Amino acid sequence: MLEAFVFATILFGFFGILFKKNLVMKIIAMDVMSTGVVTYYVVIAGRDGVFTPILAESSPAGAYADPVPQAVILTAIVIGLSIQALMLVGAMKLSRDNPTLECHEIEKNNT
Amino acid sequence: MNYWTLAWIACPFLLGFIVYLIPRVSRYFALLGAVLSAAYATQLFLAESPLSLRLLDHFGVSLLLDPLTAFFILTNALVTAAVTFYCWDSDKTPFFYAQLLILHGSVNSAFACADFMSLYVALEVIGISTFILMTYPRSDRSLWVGLRYLFVSNVAMLFYLVGAVLVYKAHHSFDLAGLRGAPPEAIALILLGLLVKGGVFVSGLWLPLTHAESDSPVSALMSGVVVKAAILPLARCALLLEEIDPIVRMFGVATAIFGVAYAVVEKDAKRMLAFHTVSQLGFILAAPEVGGFYALTHGLVKASLFLIVGQLPSRNLKELLHQPISFGLWGAVVAASFSISGFPLLAGFGAKVLTMKNLLPWQIIGMNLAALGTAISFAKFIFLPVQKSPGALSGGKSIGFWAAILLLLGGLVAANLVYYDAYTPQNVIKPLATIGLGWLAYWLIFRRLVVKLPRMFEQFDHLIGVMSLSLALLFWMVLP
Repeated sequence: MLEAFVFATILFGFFGILFKKNLVMKIIAMDVMSTGVVTYYVVIAGRDGVFTPILAESSPAGAYADPVPQAVILTAIVIGLSIQALMLVGAMKLSRDNPTLECHEIEKNNT
Repeated sequence: MNYWTLAWIACPFLLGFIVYLIPRVSRYFALLGAVLSAAYATQLFLAESPLSLRLLDHFGVSLLLDPLTAFFILTNALVTAAVTFYCWDSDKTPFFYAQLLILHGSVNSAFACADFMSLYVALEVIGISTFILMTYPRSDRSLWVGLRYLFVSNVAMLFYLVGAVLVYKAHHSFDLAGLRGAPPEAIALILLGLLVKGGVFVSGLWLPLTHAESDSPVSALMSGVVVKAAILPLARCALLLEEIDPIVRMFGVATAIFGVAYAVVEKDAKRMLAFHTVSQLGFILAAPEVGGFYALTHGLVKASLFLIVGQLPSRNLKELLHQPISFGLWGAVVAASFSISGFPLLAGFGAKVLTMKNLLPWQIIGMNLAALGTAISFAKFIFLPVQKSPGALSGGKSIGFWAAILLLLGGLVAANLVYYDAYTPQNVIKPLATIGLGWLAYWLIFRRLVVKLPRMFEQFDHLIGVMSLSLALLFWMVLP
């Protein structure tokens, strides 16, 4: 169930990139897609249990979340953030000569 | 040795950040980074056994350094050094060299790593630093082309990430070897990411515009080494898994013909070189076990050609027919074109023979067609008119430019000695016949032929759309 929602998020993001006309909307759609991917890592991490993997007497045995996917996805989040930032700066610069930021217009003017 | 390897990976990044603090040393540091990589690659060639490193536990970073990797690292070192020489006298700021070093380091780490997560990080860092290098002129056009590149590569890498976690789910490890026994959707997603990032077949149609519109040194870097950062992992996957091997080889043949079909009719010099890069990536993938040598020769040739084309009076090959170029430039163009067409005495010959020898029977016709196409497309360069006046040898170009070209072409001549077994009469005649046929076809047909292939599929929306189609195709191919 949870997985289905995650894949729906990824797909919606992907179709957003495909069908939105505005550059900023495309960038936001890409963020939605990467949110989906990040969530998928978290879902996979939590498939055996959701407890923080810290050994204590009160915590139930065996029902720990897997720390590895969560740890590695942090890197991907940071990378995603920096790419977003770079793209938005690019969009800002482009908006001076293409105030509507329509992708088709920018593409027609610049290729 | 382990510590040296880690130091070598960290070194370019360290040098790059130091350049920000001490801008005056920028060019020397860029050169130093390249020299260190070259030294490391030489040591890898001489080492008896491949070096396999595993940091932390089974989920940690793993590195694999074997002779195949050494070829790619050497390519990276030579091209970076040549680009540094080329830009030596230009007005590039230290910022440019810092980015160059960071790109160099990330490409090195992409070559070295053998697990999906480190590969992801390396490829993304490559994407970011390439974007920054591409948009260095900060014109609208460069910004758009850069944004388009970043978009395509990032979306591809998101698919790749989903594939990577599926591999982890199956094996509790991100190792490349974990592809064995992973569900087919994981293989399809990972292959999609690498194919797009590497610019292979239809999903590589982002590449021509990107490579053609960048500055010459940046184009040289991108065509020479950056695309290969995703090609080496593809080759590695093919070598590891016999199920993937035919898929990679099939994509190799398809992309070799596809790229060369565009290159043959293209009239713009830079676009032709870019399309030809697509085709040459196919040669690397068609015989993954010997792809390293081919990657080295292609990297050297393509980098030198992009640097030379940046110095020509025009990009349009039609106009160049009426504007004679200096003898020195022409000589350099001809040497590079001969090597890529597989003419004996240059390294391209050995690489082509080696690749052709390792093809499977069903690949041979396709690859020979692609080789013929290469000869046709480079005939356009070889038959450019030359200035008659004496003293125009250097054509007024700077020392840095000639240093770069000498380094790259010298590398080609030196690399030729690696595989001297290739010189048998039979091996020599075949490429000569191919080149002869290619030139004949050029003079009879392609010189006058005007074909405009539609550029529709290079539009941004289509690039993204084609990605979903490729995913469906890959999924269908990997299903058992």
